[in-house]
Amino acid sequence: MNPAYETLAARIEERFGEYVKRIPSTCNELTFEVDSDHFHSIALELRDEPEFGFEMLVDACGVDYLTYGQDEWTTQEATDSGFSRGAIRGPVILDEADEFDPRRFAVVYHLLSISHNKRLRLRVFVGANNPPITKSVVDVWSCANWFEREVFDMFGILFEGHPDLRRILTDYGFVGHPFRKDFPLSGSVEVHYDAELGRVAYQPVNIEPRISVPRVIRRDNRYDSELTGRTGNDK
Amino acid sequence: MSRIRSYIKTFTLWELLQGLSVTLRHFFIRGVTIQYPEEKTPQSFRFRGLHALRRYPNGEERCIACKLCEAVCPAQAITIESDVSADGTRRTTRYDIDLFKCIYCGMCEEACPVDAIVETRIHEYHMESKGENIMTKDKLLGIGEKFDDMISADKAADAKYR
Amino acid sequence: MAEIQNFTMNFGPQHPAAHGVLRLILEMDGEVIQRADPHVGLLHRGTEKLAETKPFSQSVGYMDRLDYVSMMCNEHGYVLAIEKLLGITPPVRAQYIRVMFDEITRLLNHLMWLGAHGLDIGAMTMFLYCFREREDLLDCYEAVSGSRMHANYYRPGGVYRDLPDQMPKYQASKWRSQKDVDRLNAVRSGSMLDFLQAFCDKFPACVDDYETLLTDNRIWKQRTVNIGVVSPERALQLGFTGPMLRGSGVEWDLRKKQPYAVYDQLDFDIPVGVNGDSYDRYLVRVEEMRQSNRIIEQCIKWLRENPGPVMLDDHKITPPKRVEMKDDMESLIHHFKLFTEGYCVPEGEAYAAIEHPKGEFGIYLVSDGANKPYRVKIRPPGFVHLSALAEMVDGHMLADVVAVIGTLDIVFGEVDR
Repeated sequence: MNPAYETLAARIEERFGEYVKRIPSTCNELTFEVDSDHFHSIALELRDEPEFGFEMLVDACGVDYLTYGQDEWTTQEATDSGFSRGAIRGPVILDEADEFDPRRFAVVYHLLSISHNKRLRLRVFVGANNPPITKSVVDVWSCANWFEREVFDMFGILFEGHPDLRRILTDYGFVGHPFRKDFPLSGSVEVHYDAELGRVAYQPVNIEPRISVPRVIRRDNRYDSELTGRTGNDK
Repeated sequence: MSRIRSYIKTFTLWELLQGLSVTLRHFFIRGVTIQYPEEKTPQSFRFRGLHALRRYPNGEERCIACKLCEAVCPAQAITIESDVSADGTRRTTRYDIDLFKCIYCGMCEEACPVDAIVETRIHEYHMESKGENIMTKDKLLGIGEKFDDMISADKAADAKYR
Repeated sequence: MAEIQNFTMNFGPQHPAAHGVLRLILEMDGEVIQRADPHVGLLHRGTEKLAETKPFSQSVGYMDRLDYVSMMCNEHGYVLAIEKLLGITPPVRAQYIRVMFDEITRLLNHLMWLGAHGLDIGAMTMFLYCFREREDLLDCYEAVSGSRMHANYYRPGGVYRDLPDQMPKYQASKWRSQKDVDRLNAVRSGSMLDFLQAFCDKFPACVDDYETLLTDNRIWKQRTVNIGVVSPERALQLGFTGPMLRGSGVEWDLRKKQPYAVYDQLDFDIPVGVNGDSYDRYLVRVEEMRQSNRIIEQCIKWLRENPGPVMLDDHKITPPKRVEMKDDMESLIHHFKLFTEGYCVPEGEAYAAIEHPKGEFGIYLVSDGANKPYRVKIRPPGFVHLSALAEMVDGHMLADVVAVIGTLDIVFGEVDR
């Protein structure tokens, strides 16, 4: 990795110590996992201290790690029924749990320093609460406003201190958080024009789920870290 | 001096007259309009329009029901069912393309190992009733037969790049 | 004394100046905007979730449909992210082709923007002139990819096919004599590069025409100067990138600062604004068109001199040539494997950003080692710019809202994803 990034990484580790954990990267990117409770103050210092100078929040997004590392391929023998044979359509996990796996939901922030020409990625796991909740950084970077609204809309993660946390991309009156891994791809409702009511109405979706290529995970020696020296496992 | 000049320019509407001279010039140059549909713009031999299923010159269907196109279709617009035909070869019994789902990405053509499914130059077509958006095997083969010369020429022109 | 009352006005989603499906709730005091609340998401299709359910290479076609006036730039961001995770670099010729089409795309986008922005605030001629020039560039798109808009041309590991050495030609008809047709076909007699070179030769004069019509025009200036002013500090806070940031006077261009593909070997300049108003952003974009033209010319020159492969020769990732596939068993197996299962991308995460015509377009890709991405996040420039709309129109008149929407250069395919 670029020595300038190593210096930056060392400075961040020195400055924030136990609250940050560096994650090894395969593609020369600097990633830190940040403690949720201290994230806001760390963000403020990353922006304001001249040696860091991360003036810009490029992106903030949610990630749901519920099915991380799971594949859908179970069949061993070949059949002529098409490529969907190995796909398992598992039971839909409902969102009614009191608590989530504390490492299920994360918010990932991409920072950019214009003055030092550097990028930094911060990942904050939001904890086991249902609904998950974390601190907002709208007061640090104004553009976080819509990004956080989007994360709330798509993943149902709440942001404490956000001035106007509404849904942004989904329909008015939408139920559920579509980018969670237990939300079906086709959604649960569809709209149609109801002639009797004289307006557009909702009805349960009638699209049949179809997987033409199942998800598979294959061990590949080319990417084996012991053989190639690349460091994997970013999670 | 420059202030006087800009003062004069302001009052003589100089920059507006300059702009009008551009539009006036364009008034006299030859138009670029095409008299569609009598006249059409040139179309590349790579054009991706309506689909067709092709046959070999001896009339045999090319498609062997390998289902690569079904697997590679990002929009899942293709549905195939297959069976062994009377002469012992593997053939499709159903080959449907839903034109409402299709995004015309050309992946099916790219994936087809026997050049059976192709996207043709045809881009002017319409549907009049529900259900016509499903291109069945017969319809696709019909297009392939009707426009065979055009399709063969286009594919031959493109063959060296693939 | 009469009672004074604020009005709430609904703008869009079906409004010609809304550039798609923007709905604005405007709170007005007379004709002055007190508060603006953009409602977006009417075009939300869940591209990110869709991409999670298909193999990596199948989503390229969906990237075209994000920002549907700068198609290939979106594809470039996506394939760069995959290439970063796979640790591969495409052949140099493929990189030059990509850069050339990125710049063609930038011209397409800026021409569309200039035409639509002009039309919004009263310069109708611009729209017609810009579309005339777009036509030639769209022909280039069609010649290489077979599609005038949704190209699906870039692939992880290169581009799908090499540039064609012939252009389609006009046919004589009852509306056009053979002489007329010959005149039209004069630029189409050579390869696609010759056609593009002919375009590059005439394009600077076209930009001069646009500038004669607009740059000093008093009506244009009255509509844009001091409208939607953003200071450099605020621009950074609001996450502006691309021409929006450069219009505010911050010299930042990923093509120079964090070069990708072959931008570090090309010669071009970065225009920067001073006042951060709509007029400066207009000047920046017009100058960018001239610079893009320069880059395209350099790419044409290089591509003419250096034939070679346009796709990586690693058949675990890129499909083999069709001739090989039909003759060679191993190639056929690769072909089947690639088009059914695809390839597994090593576990990890990557963020690839490119200088999209509208700003920084980024793809954040998380892979858990499967043949499908675990999470794809698209960082759309338009989404961020639109979020600043409320601040930019505050205190302006209703008619200026249209000018500000125009200067933001938003396309709802990418704002809503």
